[in-house]
Amino acid sequence: MRKLKISVKNLSKDFENKKVLKKLNLNVFESESLAIIGESGSGKSVLTRCIIGLTKFNKGQIQYNNISDIKKLNEKNKNNYISKFGILFQNSALLDSLTIKENLKIAKNLIDFSDILYDVALPESILDCYPSDLSVGMQKRVGIARAILKEPEVLIFDEPTTGLDPIIARQINLLIKKLVKQKKITTITVTHDMDSVYEFADYVAYIENGRIAWYGNAKSIKNNNNKSLKNFIKGVC
Amino acid sequence: MKKIPDKFFVSFKKLGSGIFELFHSIGEIVVFFLECLKFAFLEKFYTRIFLKQLVKIGFNSLPVVGLTSIFTGMVLALQSYTGFSRFSAESAIPNVVVLSITRELAPVLAGLMVAGRSGAAIAAEIGTMKVTEQIDALKTLSTNPYNYLITPRIFAGIISLPVLVFLGDIIGVFGGYLICTKILNFNPTVYLQNTYNFVEFLDVFSGLVKAAVFGFIITFMGCYHGFNAKGGAQGVGLSTTYAVVSSSILILLMNYILTSFFFKL
Repeated sequence: MRKLKISVKNLSKDFENKKVLKKLNLNVFESESLAIIGESGSGKSVLTRCIIGLTKFNKGQIQYNNISDIKKLNEKNKNNYISKFGILFQNSALLDSLTIKENLKIAKNLIDFSDILYDVALPESILDCYPSDLSVGMQKRVGIARAILKEPEVLIFDEPTTGLDPIIARQINLLIKKLVKQKKITTITVTHDMDSVYEFADYVAYIENGRIAWYGNAKSIKNNNNKSLKNFIKGVC
Repeated sequence: MKKIPDKFFVSFKKLGSGIFELFHSIGEIVVFFLECLKFAFLEKFYTRIFLKQLVKIGFNSLPVVGLTSIFTGMVLALQSYTGFSRFSAESAIPNVVVLSITRELAPVLAGLMVAGRSGAAIAAEIGTMKVTEQIDALKTLSTNPYNYLITPRIFAGIISLPVLVFLGDIIGVFGGYLICTKILNFNPTVYLQNTYNFVEFLDVFSGLVKAAVFGFIITFMGCYHGFNAKGGAQGVGLSTTYAVVSSSILILLMNYILTSFFFKL
């Protein structure tokens, strides 16, 4: 039986008269890996930012476990709520002025980071480097390590393979797949990389014009009847 | 009845929206200040970051403040001599130099120099962190960005500026001393004696109070504009410009207000 983790109801978000999300509904279930796909600018990242509580939404409701409406949380509870999420941001968002070790220490004050670095296939020698010393792929791995270090209830990957070459992108996909299966954490991945979807998603939500145009099992996505989703998968204009 | 031209309404609308935007910005700055104040004393204080910022804002600005002060003292001595020699009042030069430096020039010039150097750096650093989602990342890592980024910088600014200005006072007076003794043939002992006898505690103290206020303005405006940076590189560039321009204007405005206050004492 699938247990509901996050429920998004009639979510609307405008940016200066531009409606990005229009009464969007979506359910995220515990221990499942959901991929949110859609064209650039369709509101995928905005949706996840609203779920995390980083972006205020105009209308609607977001329910998380026993929290009936995250909009009603006070400041202290909101900070506690945000800390339930581990996030790999689009450009990793590592703090430039800190070394990798210091970046990881913000997430969890450990002395030894060898285990976590092993999990994300990084050498310990990078601990004293600064983010700018690392390649984009390595920065993503550090971002993933930082996200899982704090043992979050929900992991969010915002376009984890964007800007990577196919080999590194595949490595990142395999790494996420390994973590998803190993840790059995609820995962939301925002992507337009179908390889990521096929690799580790259990369910897929396709956003079009600010609404969920298709939702279903990742295995059945190729047999969908939604014309724009078919075009999206094939990359047809 | 004569019809009012559309241009009138357009200009009126522009004026109205300009005033509205001004009040909106002031409101935002006040809210930001209250947020900073709320977290400054209630939550964890990052001592290591505070010490790092003391070095960045204070110690690293010392060469530029020192150079500004010494040249200002030298110029002041030369210009004062030009004027005072016309009515044989050359002996007042040490008094003018020390008074101008301690009460006015050292705090204002140090403030403007640090605004250009550290204020811009703070806005650029925090602005970049904002547009690259580093501040959002901090929030998700249970780290309050106000405490982590802003409070240490503001406290470092308030503490380091008076120290810089005090050193600037000494260097500026030394600049005047160099010119007077080496070029204008003043007696070194008499020059120093005149300076020491003339200067009062309030002269130095008022300059240091000004410096602390300027330190707050520089770091606060740097943090505020950085924190509100939007877009990409262009947004960060704009936030840097706004930080320097707004803190420079506020320094000059507060300088007048504080001078008026100390004038009455």
